[in-house]
Amino acid sequence: MMPRSVSGAGTASRAAGERLVAHVLLACTAVAVVALAAVLAVLVREAGLFFADVSPWRFLSEITWAPAAAEPRFGVLPLLVGTVQIAAGAAVFALPAGLMTAVYLDQYAGGRTARLLSGVTALMAGVPTVVYGLFALHFVTPALRVLWPGIEAFNALSACMVVGLMILPTVVVLSREALESVPAPLLDAGLALGAPKGRVVTRVLLPAASGGVLAAVLIAMARAVGETMIVTLAAGNESRLTWSPFEGLQTLTAFLTELGMGDAATGTREFQAFFAVGAVLFVGTYGIHMAGRMLVSRSVGRTGS
Amino acid sequence: MNRPAAPADAPVLTAERLGVRFGRHIALRDVSLSIPRGRIVSIIGPSGCGKTTLLRCFSRMNELVSGARTSGTVHFAGMDLYGPDIDPVEVRRRIGMVFQKTTPFPKSVFDNIAFGPRASGFAGDLQGLVEEALTDAGLWSEVADDLDTPALELSAGQKQRLCIARTLALKPDVLLLDEPTSALDPEATARIESIIRALSPRYTIVIATYNRWQAARLSDMTAFLDRGELLEYGLTETLFTNPREARTESYLTGRTQ
Repeated sequence: MMPRSVSGAGTASRAAGERLVAHVLLACTAVAVVALAAVLAVLVREAGLFFADVSPWRFLSEITWAPAAAEPRFGVLPLLVGTVQIAAGAAVFALPAGLMTAVYLDQYAGGRTARLLSGVTALMAGVPTVVYGLFALHFVTPALRVLWPGIEAFNALSACMVVGLMILPTVVVLSREALESVPAPLLDAGLALGAPKGRVVTRVLLPAASGGVLAAVLIAMARAVGETMIVTLAAGNESRLTWSPFEGLQTLTAFLTELGMGDAATGTREFQAFFAVGAVLFVGTYGIHMAGRMLVSRSVGRTGS
Repeated sequence: MNRPAAPADAPVLTAERLGVRFGRHIALRDVSLSIPRGRIVSIIGPSGCGKTTLLRCFSRMNELVSGARTSGTVHFAGMDLYGPDIDPVEVRRRIGMVFQKTTPFPKSVFDNIAFGPRASGFAGDLQGLVEEALTDAGLWSEVADDLDTPALELSAGQKQRLCIARTLALKPDVLLLDEPTSALDPEATARIESIIRALSPRYTIVIATYNRWQAARLSDMTAFLDRGELLEYGLTETLFTNPREARTESYLTGRTQ
């Protein structure tokens, strides 16, 4: 039998084909990179013009945000505090419930129950945020008024609760994935040591899945930070520096929506403020993602054998 | 459950017509055998023959798998392990199991060893118990100064000795070892084997192993399983030198795997 040739026309055309595939894939990747670069360029240019007029220190330290006032004020703190309040408040509602649901689905629910509840969770993820917003305004706030008659019509508490509801499916699905990634022999080992199941879940399963659970938490928080419609409908759109959950507030995204739909003329400082706030939002969400990646990479191998 | 007080060589575990099925799959069929106290018993057989399933029956681990059904009886020191009044959690404290895949918890070496005693409400000298368990598993001299080290940073052989120590900390009557050296290099394997030998007078040890030579080196008695059935069970020397069944002989001589 003759040895097969290792070079020749067939090899050359195959190499050319592989080069073509690599170039096409590179071009596709380039689209994403160019788009990101374009967004960043616009953000930096407009925010740069804004910060040439308003010092970053004033922007970050002043406590009044009134860009459209006769005497405009550009203290972003009320928007930052509002955003943190909504994200943290939503987490307070969503994380314990979401994590416990994930543990139940992963460890305790029978096959049929788990499928049913997973379906409900998927359905929750599909509800448009405007529907959640109306639910907050017309159901949650009136219900809260029964408990606290003094609560404002637009308030942070109702927004936190319903944003929490919105991010619940994210927490459940991602935490469950993290729990499922824990090797079954690790649980068996815990049970084989004569530990009750509840103890194995809390002392072995959850610590082993902690990296993935933290990632779930951060991704859910990033969603809460970016949420606009529920916050606008439930918490109103009036910027003020307050930590009271019974009062209305404005978040970074709610301001962006208000201004984006408004009539600020191109080139005005109010228009440029839009990009300055956008830059803060970008840095904040990027920071959350980086923190998430760092935490996950630190916990990599925690379940390894 | 009360501690059994039977003489050496009296059966500590007795299975009668033991069967296990997972859904439609029959994993174990009509297995009857007795494990004598203080001895090392090996369960050998080809891959998928039911070695692990049999081992897991002794610590009621199969019932954690959905769809698993166990029939027949297992008596432990005279008590029916599957009786209605028997708490499986208590069974697992008395009949410890170490798995094929090393399973250190994402905790320190100390907390790994203390896991079982803490779960069972141990109120004595935990430090002393941890030291004793690590010494018995041949790991104390290597980790004595590093008890706070994450257990995941140990070598593969050390992790498996940690898992053995973790089980020993419960002071079980029986130690079940499921392919304890299958993922280890020859040096680490030899280390584990010498530890098993050292433990054997104090503990009844049952090992499931794919390695027939390990069974020959270590055990007093050997059981040969094939396709879920117990084909032969007896003194290791007899089984290896003069097997009764043709299938046993063919497995031992390497003609079947």
